[in-house]
Amino acid sequence: MPKIRPSAWFLIAAGLCWLLLLLSTLSRGQPIPGLAADWPRWLLLVAQGGFAACVFLYMRVQPDALVGQNFIGLLRALFRRGLALSVALVVLIGIDRSAATHALPLPGNVTTAVVYTIALALFIVFLAQVLYAWRSLVNFRGGAKLRREWMVFELTLGLALLMQLLVWQMSPSLRLGVGIGLGLFGVYLSGHQRWVAYLNSSQKWQAILLQLGILGFTLLFLFYLRNAQADPVLLAPATQLSFLVLSSFFASFYAIAGLLITLFNLPIAEVFEQRRAEILGLQHLSQIIQRGQSAPEIYQMLFNSAIQTIKANAAVLMPERQPGELAKSPLTPLRYQFPTDDLELIASLLTPLPGTPRVVELIDNSLERSKRLEGSAMPYGSMAVLPLQSASHNYGTLLLLHKEPHAFDSEVLSILHTFTAQTVLSLENLQLAQESLNNQRTQDELRIAALVQERLIPKRLPTDDWFEISTYAQAAKEVGGDFYDFLHLPGQKLAVLIGDVSGKGVTAAFHTAQMKGIFHALMQANPLAKKERDRYPDPHRFMVQANEALTHCLERSSFITAAFYLIDYQAGGFSFARAGHCHTLYYHSIKEEVSYFRTEGLGLGIIRDVAYEKHVKTQFWDYNPGDVMVIYTDGIVEARDGDGNEYGEERLRQMLETCFYQSAEEINEHLRHDVQEFSRGQPLHDDQTLLVIKFKAAQPHT
Amino acid sequence: MKVTTHTSTDTLTLVLDGELDASSAVVLDAELNKPEILNYRKVLVDCQRLSYISSAGLGVFISHLQRLQDSDVKLVFFNMQEKVFNVFEILGLDSLMHIVPTEQEAQAA
Repeated sequence: MPKIRPSAWFLIAAGLCWLLLLLSTLSRGQPIPGLAADWPRWLLLVAQGGFAACVFLYMRVQPDALVGQNFIGLLRALFRRGLALSVALVVLIGIDRSAATHALPLPGNVTTAVVYTIALALFIVFLAQVLYAWRSLVNFRGGAKLRREWMVFELTLGLALLMQLLVWQMSPSLRLGVGIGLGLFGVYLSGHQRWVAYLNSSQKWQAILLQLGILGFTLLFLFYLRNAQADPVLLAPATQLSFLVLSSFFASFYAIAGLLITLFNLPIAEVFEQRRAEILGLQHLSQIIQRGQSAPEIYQMLFNSAIQTIKANAAVLMPERQPGELAKSPLTPLRYQFPTDDLELIASLLTPLPGTPRVVELIDNSLERSKRLEGSAMPYGSMAVLPLQSASHNYGTLLLLHKEPHAFDSEVLSILHTFTAQTVLSLENLQLAQESLNNQRTQDELRIAALVQERLIPKRLPTDDWFEISTYAQAAKEVGGDFYDFLHLPGQKLAVLIGDVSGKGVTAAFHTAQMKGIFHALMQANPLAKKERDRYPDPHRFMVQANEALTHCLERSSFITAAFYLIDYQAGGFSFARAGHCHTLYYHSIKEEVSYFRTEGLGLGIIRDVAYEKHVKTQFWDYNPGDVMVIYTDGIVEARDGDGNEYGEERLRQMLETCFYQSAEEINEHLRHDVQEFSRGQPLHDDQTLLVIKFKAAQPHT
Repeated sequence: MKVTTHTSTDTLTLVLDGELDASSAVVLDAELNKPEILNYRKVLVDCQRLSYISSAGLGVFISHLQRLQDSDVKLVFFNMQEKVFNVFEILGLDSLMHIVPTEQEAQAA
């Protein structure tokens, strides 16, 4: 057995009631063979009431007729049904009429009775549809309280129906009282027409016409039923069920009320629509921000929104190039119905005043009198020049033109200001997003640069029985400007280079890599050298050649300090040259004295020609076992404490006096620990490099 | 840092006050970049209140040194604090630049 939906039971019951209604109506007319005459009146009323109740209950459980905010769709569907039912009614009336003129082999009033019963059913169906369509409209944005009120209304309508059935002997005055009470309730409910506010003006006109149509259909049915009851042929009982009367009263009254409200709403519809357009425009703008679109899109959005909202006759938007923005594409002004020839006329209005970064807002509501745009091909009445600027930036200028004078009143301007403020916000957001993205990218690249530089630092320190080396290096930023390197040369020689590129960051880091390259290139053995000591450049030669190599690639304001040592530990001595670099600190084990090598020497890249030769010298020194050489960059001696005092050469010297006897590694640790103690809590403001070389007594080879 | 300038007929005096680091070096560079500076015979730099000079600050003087020499404009420093002089000395600039103790000597140079 197929399953029947609960709502379908209402339809079946309605059908049965209708049959009963038909039969009892027929029974009251001329006798029909096989049908008992004059069924009791209560049966007829029960059939009528039962039918009405079933149809209404059926409609009640149908899904809400209102989909979203499609009010016109709802009214249109209702109108179509009303039209179809009315056409059916007219056809029925036609049949009835023709049956009356052409004698049919039927008892005299059978057709009338059938037509009447069908028409009554159609009317009840129509009423139920209207009532429940109105329910959707009444409850639109109504809230729980209103829904409860509607339930009470339905309940009282139902009660009225029951009363009619059970107590048909009600006193007329009571019936009148109940009727008036319910009627007033209906009038109260008819005041709930919030949906009207959601229509635009064309929809409002449609709503008015559709409601008129629905009203017309209702009246048509009422008119027919009233006439039919007066028809002497049909001896049908009056359908004066309070229920039907009240329903049709409410259905009509709600329609009339809605119609009137819509009609009175028409003049202010435009205001509502403008507001809606503004809100939509603002929504659109804020959506663009969230999606983080490009600046041209934001400009276009503002442009379109402003034109649409104020119905401008022409407009120009001149974007401003932002600092840091690449000038790869020329900024073209956005134009709307504005002649190119007139761009010159307004150029001075759109660009910042000379000497200031700001464009001045200008509202001219009577261009005819001010003649500001005289010579324009178009006769404009009013003009608004609105700068798009934040506290710090100017993002461009929007110019709007209207044919009417006084188009830019305070209301319009407040909208436009909202638009421009929103736009500036969007553009700033966009810039911030872009900056953070760029920052991220720079960070990533810096990290890579730091990795590359890390690789340039010698990992394996030269080891030999004759000396110990210990190193320490710390960059202040991701990449640094300090460098050092070692190179073992044949014949028990060791080349040591330390240096500091002026400036910080990536540029400096590049030059450190370059210095490393120069170091390795210059320390290649010269195969043409006749004497052994000419095979490698001496420190003076090294500095002069390095200076020459740097001449063309170092920025004019940059220089490099370096110190170069060529240690010959077979001979127990070293030669060195200082090019503007920090003095070498030395512990002399025989004299038991710590002092600086105070030698002369000019930094690299300061004099960029042969004259440099005279500014750098090679020095020689014979060392003894136990001697300690401390080589460092200015980040060590210029380290500062909380009061801004520098660490200084003297403190470094004194520190070495306390630890010279330790191993190179221990000395290094000791010294850097003291520097760190000294500048505790201070940010590292320069790169620090510290090399300690300790010469040892020759160990017999085993 | 503050840079103030005094001019006489053939001398421009720059008075440096504060720390000459990377950010203030830009100000000084702009000052030395002015074309009219080549019209003077001498540019004196008063370092009495110069408490610190970074390599960026030195770089500014180094980069303008050649240009001034080419136009026969003398660059003379005076009243330099010992700490600052040390920085010039370590870099070897004392052999390259004219650094004198007093303003009188600078004027006479």
